[in-house]
Amino acid sequence: MTTKSNIIEKTNSISQVRYACSIGSLYTAAAIPGVIPITHCGPGCADKQFMGLAFYNGFQGGGYGGGAVSPSVNATEKEVVFGGTERLRELIKASLKIMDADLFVVLTGCIADLVGDDVPSVVSEFQEQGVNIVYAETGGFRGNNFTGHELVTKSIIDQFVGDYNGKKDSHTVNVWSLLPYQNPFWRGDLSEIKRILEGVGLKVNILFGHHSKGIEEWKNLPKAGFNLVLSPWLGLRTAQYLEKKYNQPFLHVPVIPVGAKETSRFLREISDYAGLDKEKTEAFIRSEEKEYYYYLEHFADFYSEYWWGLPAQFAVVGDSAYNLAMTKFLVNQLGLIPSRQIITENTPDEYKDFIREQYKHIAEDVSVGVDFVEDGYIVGKLLEETDFGHKSPIIFATTWDRDIAKKLNGHIVEIGFPASYEVVISRSYIGYRGALSLLEKVFTTTIGKSA
Amino acid sequence: MSKKIKQIAIYGKGGIGKSTTTSNISAALVEAGCKVLQFGCDPKSDSTNTLRDGKYIPTVLDLLREKPKVDAHDAIFQGFKGVYCVEAGGPAPGVGCAGRGIITAVELLKQQNIFEELDLDYVIFDVLGDVVCGGFAVPIREGIAEHVFTVSSSDFMAVYAANNLMKGIKKYSNSGGALFGGIIANSINSPYQQSIIEDFAQQTGTQVVEYVPRSITVTQSELSGRTTIEAQPKSKQADVYRSLARRIHEHTESRVPTPLEIDDLREWSAKWADQLLAMESGEVRGVQSNI
Repeated sequence: MTTKSNIIEKTNSISQVRYACSIGSLYTAAAIPGVIPITHCGPGCADKQFMGLAFYNGFQGGGYGGGAVSPSVNATEKEVVFGGTERLRELIKASLKIMDADLFVVLTGCIADLVGDDVPSVVSEFQEQGVNIVYAETGGFRGNNFTGHELVTKSIIDQFVGDYNGKKDSHTVNVWSLLPYQNPFWRGDLSEIKRILEGVGLKVNILFGHHSKGIEEWKNLPKAGFNLVLSPWLGLRTAQYLEKKYNQPFLHVPVIPVGAKETSRFLREISDYAGLDKEKTEAFIRSEEKEYYYYLEHFADFYSEYWWGLPAQFAVVGDSAYNLAMTKFLVNQLGLIPSRQIITENTPDEYKDFIREQYKHIAEDVSVGVDFVEDGYIVGKLLEETDFGHKSPIIFATTWDRDIAKKLNGHIVEIGFPASYEVVISRSYIGYRGALSLLEKVFTTTIGKSA
Repeated sequence: MSKKIKQIAIYGKGGIGKSTTTSNISAALVEAGCKVLQFGCDPKSDSTNTLRDGKYIPTVLDLLREKPKVDAHDAIFQGFKGVYCVEAGGPAPGVGCAGRGIITAVELLKQQNIFEELDLDYVIFDVLGDVVCGGFAVPIREGIAEHVFTVSSSDFMAVYAANNLMKGIKKYSNSGGALFGGIIANSINSPYQQSIIEDFAQQTGTQVVEYVPRSITVTQSELSGRTTIEAQPKSKQADVYRSLARRIHEHTESRVPTPLEIDDLREWSAKWADQLLAMESGEVRGVQSNI
């Protein structure tokens, strides 16, 4: 459905940034209960990540280890010229005195990485004393917060979890899915993923968010029978690494399930892969679907009667994880027409073809193109030149895209970074329960437009 | 109206005799009645030692390490015949960013208008070797030095460093940076060394300002913690330095050099290697036939 664009393919700058800096992965650390990140960077770096990822993005909040809590070196000219290791040592010592963390994660910014501070040796001094502390070199030039997330994850595995050669439990799974904080709905979504996987009989190391058992869960990560990468690409490198390190296989499911159809399919795939009790799986699916369709049945009156006032075509602008998940759901369960899909996270090149392939098979008879774009200007141009037909389209995107949605006389649902007009507490948009919340959001937005 | 201060920067590969040459130029200029400040831009911070009886001085960055705000006066020390000495200093080897250190030190003195206050005739920056990063290029950027000289021997690595410096100068020349004054050919004792440097100057559209021979007088003076001008003022070598200082004093027009591309530079050095080999084996040809 995507039309061939005649606009500039790549610009030398990015307006309306749709991800954070590599050191933004301090929120990967903060997303693990009991973990406190320590940032070894200049003034402003940590605060910008907080404001960007955890404040003006669903107003998620810093919690126990993020926001105003995270200690920072606050490097000045002195640390640039003479190196900042002394100051970092001092900060770690002070943090140990006054902060109660199960694990500290030191993240470096551009200054430390450019001047070559020997952070590993400073951190290892504390590790040798038995302090639970790791470091990750996350200078901004290494990439964005997706890159940082993988670096932090690997650091914790290497420096804290350590080696393991013991037995594994084939019915325990480690889940690598949405990027915490980048996706404002990660908390609710990870809860839903954990809930449904437990429903079919798995023990789940969800690793991030309220339902994670924190570092205890991470310590047990090598004992899991397999890793589940539930996203188009993020987490694949981690899973491949774990396969090598712990001889732990992984299952890659690129589509995060939204709605009963996809979620039930997903659970059957998992159940088969892990060799779970089929009966139990089907029983769980039956009970979930019963509830789901009970609600849908009542929703159906509205959906069939109100057709004249509802959008027929949609666009999704955002991270590949939600982009693919939403597109699949909206096509398969609501019968909407996908008109433009734009992925904005700066997907590593090696995964792009694989992702394009996913969009070719959205449904048996629906194949769509996908654009990989980071610049807000180009996003706007692409949306503007899309033919959405005669009805107002619905655009699943970010705060940045509100202006263009207005121009197109469309509806907008903010589903990704930055979502500055959404307050998100525990809401989920995925699985069985999240899909119902998504429907509520979509159609409240739609009919509310004429209020 | 305040007078115009002549600001020059002297670059060169480490160990080539840059600080020795610079200090002797400074000594010759103060001897001739000029007011001179020598600014050592090398983390080793030993540029001005021979102007101060071999003694080290606290560096700008030493002071900055102690307290966040530094009075530039605390970093300025006087030496031979009142010459002013400043050392930028730097971090311990292997840590921090020496390049940024130089930027910080130079900016600090500039911000406090210290050069004007001292009513100087000359500021001479003595800068470490290759222009490896932006920090070491600071003295050649806009508003600091106007003329850049390089100390080079006829060794390939020294020529390579000089060529790199020219690249840096060429780059900044479009944005009001310093221009190239010429090559100070150091440790030149034989005609073929002179020919090499001369040829390089010609290739890069520059000039040789002075040929400074290698001399035991220099070593003796250095060991006594002094410049040749101070320790052996009547020596022939002291006169060479005086002549060099005079050339620099009279120098007014610097130019944009035309550094060689790396492949051309390699080809150029290979050509010379061939000729030197031919000389060793007794074959006489080309330029060398009259050596």
